[in-house]
Amino acid sequence: MPVDAPLPQPELVAAIPRLRRYARVLTGESTRADDLVQETLARAWEKRRLWAAGTDLRAWLFTIMHNVFVNQRATARRDAQSVSLDDDDNGVARELAVRPNQHLRVELGEIVRELARLPAEQREVLILAAVEEMRYEEIAKVLAIPIGTVMSRLSRARDKLRRATQRDDAGAMPLKVVK
Amino acid sequence: MSPLPVSDADLQAYADGRAPAERVPAIEAALRGDAGLAEYVADVRRQNAALRDALDPMLTETIPQRLLDAAMRPPSRWRRMLPPLAAAALLVLGCTVGWFARDLLLQQAGTPTTFARQAALTHVLYASDANRPVEVWASEEKRLVTWLSRRLGFSVHAPDLNSVGFALVGGRLVAGNENPTALFMYENADKQRLTLQVRKQGAGPEETAFRYAVEDGVGVFYWIDDHCGYALSGQVDRTQLLTIGRLVYGQLAAAADAAPR
Repeated sequence: MPVDAPLPQPELVAAIPRLRRYARVLTGESTRADDLVQETLARAWEKRRLWAAGTDLRAWLFTIMHNVFVNQRATARRDAQSVSLDDDDNGVARELAVRPNQHLRVELGEIVRELARLPAEQREVLILAAVEEMRYEEIAKVLAIPIGTVMSRLSRARDKLRRATQRDDAGAMPLKVVK
Repeated sequence: MSPLPVSDADLQAYADGRAPAERVPAIEAALRGDAGLAEYVADVRRQNAALRDALDPMLTETIPQRLLDAAMRPPSRWRRMLPPLAAAALLVLGCTVGWFARDLLLQQAGTPTTFARQAALTHVLYASDANRPVEVWASEEKRLVTWLSRRLGFSVHAPDLNSVGFALVGGRLVAGNENPTALFMYENADKQRLTLQVRKQGAGPEETAFRYAVEDGVGVFYWIDDHCGYALSGQVDRTQLLTIGRLVYGQLAAAADAAPR
C-alpha cells in the first residue's frame, strides 16, 4: 500500500515497548493496555501529517495515548456500568504485581502497589518523569498541563509514595529478615 | 546577591538530575544545611530507581503481532468504517429476524396455548369493566348473534348458562391475532363474570381435547372443534369452569348438528 507522508516505521516499532509499559500503568490490565497501544498507533497513522518530522516521535505518541486514554475514561465514566476509578487502580496494582521476575516482585512489589494507589493524574506525571525520564517541559506538552502543575503533581506523588513506603517499612521488617 | 530560596520544584529537578546548572550550587548548599532535605532527595532517587527496576522488565516482553502490524502501516479504511457498518448490519439482521420471527410468533399465537393467554387477557379487560363490559347487551341477543356471525364468517350462538346460574350479559367483537373473535359475557348473582370467546382457527388442528390453563389468575378452558377455537374464561374454580365448559360444548355441538349443512 503506498503510504504518503510515512511515519518512520522502525521508530514506531521501537516505541512499542515504552507505549505498552505506559499503557499498562494507565489501565492496569494488559489486554486493555495493548488495545490502547493499538489505538494509539492507528491514530498516529491517521494523524501522521500532524507529526513534524525530526521532532520527538516518542513524546508525540505519548501525547496521543494520553488523549485516547482520557477520552476512553470519560466515556467509561458516562457509562453507568463503568468501573470506579478505585477498581481501576486496584487493577493496576494486580497487573503490575504479576511480574515474570519473582524476586523482583517481592522486592519491588511495594513501590508498584503504592504507584497503583496514586490518582491517575499523579501516576502519569511520575512515570513520565521518573521512568521515562522526560523533561518537564515535554511532560507538560504530553499531558497538556502547565509546567507548574507538572511539578506540583510530581511533588505530591512522591510525598505519597514516600509516606507509604516509610510506613510499610516498619511493618515489613519480618519480610526483610526472611530475605 | 543571595540566590533565590530553594523551592520544591528545585528539589524535584535536582533529584531527577534536571536542575539548571545555575541553581545547583544553591540547592546543594541547602541540602548541606538541612539533613531533612537531603534525606528527601535521597528518598526520591531511591524511588526513581525502584520504579525503573520494577517497570523496566516490561520493555523486554515479546511484542504481540497485532501491535507490530499497527506500527507498520496505517489502519485500513475499514477500521474506521467498521463500527458503523457493524451497527448497520446488526440493524438489518435484527429487522430481518424480527420480521420472520413475527410470522413465527403469529403462527404460534394460533396454537391453543397462546389462545388461552389471549383469552384470559381479554377476559380481564372486559369483565372488569363495570359500565360497558359488552358492546351489545343481552336484551338484543338476536341482533348480537347475527352481527357476530356475520363478522366471524360463520354461525355462532350464545349458549344458555342459566342452568348453572350465569345469565348472558351481552357480547362484543374483539381483535384476534388472525381472525376476529366473538366474546359473550355471562354473570351470576355474585357478580362473577365468565366470558366465552369464539373464533375461526387458522392453521392447526381441526379439533382438540379440552385444555385448562391458568393465566394471570384467570382460569381458561379452551378447545378447538370443527376449526373453531373456544375459550371459556373466569375467576372461578377449575371444577366449576369444567362443568360450565362441558355445558357450553354440549350446547354448541347440538346447535351445530341442528344447523343446516
